[in-house]
Amino acid sequence: MITFDKVTKKFPLGNTALNDVSFEIDDNQFVFLVGQSGAGKTTILKMITQEIKPTSGSIIVDDFDVTDKNFSQKIDLRRKIGIIFQDFKVLSNKNVFENVAVSLKVIGRDQSEIKTEVKRALELVGLSKKEFVFPVQLSAGELQRVAIARAVIGDRNIILADEPTGNLDPKTAWDIMKIFKKLEGKRTIIIATHNTDIVNSFQKRVLVLKEGKIIKDQRKGGYEL
Amino acid sequence: MKEIWTSIKRTPYQSLSAFLILFFTLFLTLILFVSLTFLYGTLNYLETKPQVTVYFQNKTEENQIFKVRDELMSSGKVLNIKYISKNDAFNIYKQLNKDNPLLLEMVSADILPPSLEIYAKKPIYLPEIAEYLKKQGDIDEVQYEKDIIDKLLVLTNTIRMSALIFFSYLILMSIVVLTTMILFKIALKESEIALLKLIGATDFYIRKPYILESLFLGITASTLSFGIFSFIVLYFNSFLQSYFNGITNLSVDIFNYQLTIWPLNYIFFTIVFVSISIFGTVIASVASYIATNKYLRV
Repeated sequence: MITFDKVTKKFPLGNTALNDVSFEIDDNQFVFLVGQSGAGKTTILKMITQEIKPTSGSIIVDDFDVTDKNFSQKIDLRRKIGIIFQDFKVLSNKNVFENVAVSLKVIGRDQSEIKTEVKRALELVGLSKKEFVFPVQLSAGELQRVAIARAVIGDRNIILADEPTGNLDPKTAWDIMKIFKKLEGKRTIIIATHNTDIVNSFQKRVLVLKEGKIIKDQRKGGYEL
Repeated sequence: MKEIWTSIKRTPYQSLSAFLILFFTLFLTLILFVSLTFLYGTLNYLETKPQVTVYFQNKTEENQIFKVRDELMSSGKVLNIKYISKNDAFNIYKQLNKDNPLLLEMVSADILPPSLEIYAKKPIYLPEIAEYLKKQGDIDEVQYEKDIIDKLLVLTNTIRMSALIFFSYLILMSIVVLTTMILFKIALKESEIALLKLIGATDFYIRKPYILESLFLGITASTLSFGIFSFIVLYFNSFLQSYFNGITNLSVDIFNYQLTIWPLNYIFFTIVFVSISIFGTVIASVASYIATNKYLRV
């Protein structure tokens, strides 16, 4: 479960990214974060991963109180979270297999386990036949599939996706969303997006942000600003 | 090893610069270290030579000489005293002039004075011992090598201080240059490091490849600098032998262990190699640690 309780984030120059935001996301829930650029979507995702700390309020992620001053389990927290970026962030000097495997290597899994799990993840995203291909030879859609495989592998039960279809054409974007659909109910998935069609067709929970505040929380909503 | 080699190949100029600066530092350190060791060895050697020689008048009775010797021994400031009788002095004279019969004919034991060779426990006792001897009767001459030892002590201290300053500058310069080189390399992987941090990599996991590469460069540079230094020393071995002619042994104390540095030997070379390797790896590790720190704050 992810809980934001009266979370405010003010940056040093005075702009307020989040203003008294409260919400709860249950385990294995599928949530869209929508809103205009600068509304605070990315800030919420970065607070979950502890890249940004709130100015006030409390955040609990999977029983970790990340706002606790003595919080020292950042690494343990991050090992439960898979992140997908708009620009993929696939490592250009590693092939597909290695890119996905890095997610398990950093947590010290052994080689045989890594091999099995990477193959399973690549099967999930439809890249089984490209495990030894380098990123330069992959299309944008395939790169995002690699990033998804890297995010879902292992014990990562929270998937955060920041504009995962932002750099993709509509057809590829849908293909990517189908992968998220497959994960529905198995992981907590939070997707920050501008894609109206996708949000409307999924009919999942939608948190609408405007100027750092949640203005709507719809259980089976569409894209409405 | 494969990853280290790949990293070096990807940024060959940065790696070469890092290697050269390490090599330069370690080579100069090696020269300073060995030179200082030899200076200390020479100082130790000179301190074992007779430091005060007192010549008695020819007429002086042996009993009188032994009385002076015993009083000095009981002072607690003297390590050892060697009595050279008239006959002993004549034997030494004969030995020194064995190739010159004319000189041997002109001298007999009677005209040579008896003497005491006194070894002080510390050089600072020398003036005191010399003053005491001058006040005794029947003394012909008191010679002591305080000046030489004082000059050597001053020289050693000056060299040690200069070496320390130069050495500190060298370390600082190497760490700064190495850190900059590694920073260049890491900057190319900034986004990769940020990603690794976000997926839960520990700082050590991220640092490991950079530290390993630096260790590799450190060990390679120290081995090469030691190899070249050893080659130079062995090449000039015959010159060194003539330079240290007559000195059979030079040694320094290291934690109560008497390390022989001359004649050159395997133990001395091994200790020098181990020291320079440790030094090289420590410099390289510190530099890579500082460099990686900058990118670990995600």
